Amino acid sequence: MNSKITGDTIISTKNISKTFSRDIKALEKVSLEVKQKEVVVIIGPSGSGKSTLLRCLNGLEEIDEGSITIDNTPLDGHHHNRLKIRTEVGMVFQNFNLFPHMTVGDNIRIGPRHVRKQNQAEADQITDELLKKVGIYDKIDAYPRQLSGGQQQRVAIARALAMNPLIMLFDEPTSALDPEMVGEVLEVMKDLAHEGMTMLVVTHEMGFAREVGDRIIFMDEGKIVEENSIDDFFDNPEEKRSKQFLSKILHNGGC
Amino acid sequence: MKSNNKRKLKKADFIILGLAAVLVIYIVYRIKVTIRYEWAWEILPKYIFRFDDKLGRWVSAAIFSGFIMTIKLSIWGIILGTAIGIVMGILRVHTELFGRVISRVYVDLIRNIPPLVLVFIFYFFFSSQILDNLGLEELVKASGPVIQSILTVIFIKPSLFNEFLSAVLSIALYEGAYITEIVRAGIESIPKGQWEAGHAIGLSRYRQFRHIILPQALRNVLPPLSGQFISTIKDSAIVSVISVPELSFQGMQVMASTYASFETWIVITGLYFILTFSCAAFFGRLLQRLKAAD
Repeated sequence: MNSKITGDTIISTKNISKTFSRDIKALEKVSLEVKQKEVVVIIGPSGSGKSTLLRCLNGLEEIDEGSITIDNTPLDGHHHNRLKIRTEVGMVFQNFNLFPHMTVGDNIRIGPRHVRKQNQAEADQITDELLKKVGIYDKIDAYPRQLSGGQQQRVAIARALAMNPLIMLFDEPTSALDPEMVGEVLEVMKDLAHEGMTMLVVTHEMGFAREVGDRIIFMDEGKIVEENSIDDFFDNPEEKRSKQFLSKILHNGGC
Repeated sequence: MKSNNKRKLKKADFIILGLAAVLVIYIVYRIKVTIRYEWAWEILPKYIFRFDDKLGRWVSAAIFSGFIMTIKLSIWGIILGTAIGIVMGILRVHTELFGRVISRVYVDLIRNIPPLVLVFIFYFFFSSQILDNLGLEELVKASGPVIQSILTVIFIKPSLFNEFLSAVLSIALYEGAYITEIVRAGIESIPKGQWEAGHAIGLSRYRQFRHIILPQALRNVLPPLSGQFISTIKDSAIVSVISVPELSFQGMQVMASTYASFETWIVITGLYFILTFSCAAFFGRLLQRLKAAD
């Protein structure tokens, strides 16, 4: 797997910390480097800071300390830099967050039209292509509530891809889905990984991690506990805490 | 909407209906026997419409022109009040503290003074000090007959321009405060994830609001908003205290000159009811249509 990663570092965080109100430390001195085309899987118990880490990377949360650099652009106070990063980092949410008052097509078009300033024809073309890619072109005029969860999440992926991002962040993309719909979403994500998209995926889908992940990060209590290759992590985890977690989730049979 | 409520009357319903009937009979009895009220319906029609001998046609008299004035006041009050409410409602949830403070102060101030006092403040201070100094009334009076007649149709005759403006502004400010809270609640009813999804695809804060939040929020606030519009029609009666010749003011005038107090107020009540009821019916239809479109 690692052979395909030849590119430069595209995400770099140095000692980032984030504290929510009432002294809840969501992130504590997290340093992370991700190379181009790398698929990094982030796992850990709930409240370990996985989602917060993703949300900091596209500016949804402000970090208190440290620095984030994405594609050589620092995520700092400059409006221009922040906007550039937001447009180059796509994000897929656990609850899809599709816009319920717009059709599937409009959900996807809105980014290209209003951020990329593409004309109608260009935006339409991208929308058509992406919907075909995620396999729901026939739903282009449907509203999100008319779609199944799996279909909605595929639309959400297409919406993020419409911005032609360099990096895709997935925040537990299959956690809100009925079990029989998990597969169709993972298939789309696997295709993306094989095309060479740089991906950070917070998930409990260990099968997915093993199949397409290049590297795994195990987080607990706001810190990175273990960073390892996929095979080593599953077969021979270094940290005691990782072992405990693994035995728990593997024992529970799911994933 | 499906309703499982039984249409059959129960015992309690009969008791309530019986009590209502007793009340009506009592009132009629008091009017007829105790007060010995002499009904004089025949004098009222000429206060609604009258035949103008000079023009040779029917023209609206006091009550009907009051009815029209109430409609004008309500429409302008609703338009301006909604505009104020949307702007203030947006400021209420703005990221800038300044906007939130301005909006909060406005809402708290307006909601904590009696509307009657608000009308007086506007009339005695705003109208006499600011509007007079702006020379708006002179401007209107000096304008040509065509402009004057247009202004008369959409607002009021030039001699009452200041009163009308104070009336509309005080109605709009009063209703605006309530609409502000409705709009705020509507915006806050949209899940945070909607803002975040907009953020994640790079939309500016303005575009997140304009394309994602506002359309959903407006749909959510339509039911309470229509209720507030109906309130506006009723609340407009309050500007009768500054001699704007709307329905209630004209009612008082007619009552003073005819002494037919019961007849006058029954007619006035009926006219208000026609306005509010048709407004409610209109919004009821609109909401049903929107629901059906879902």
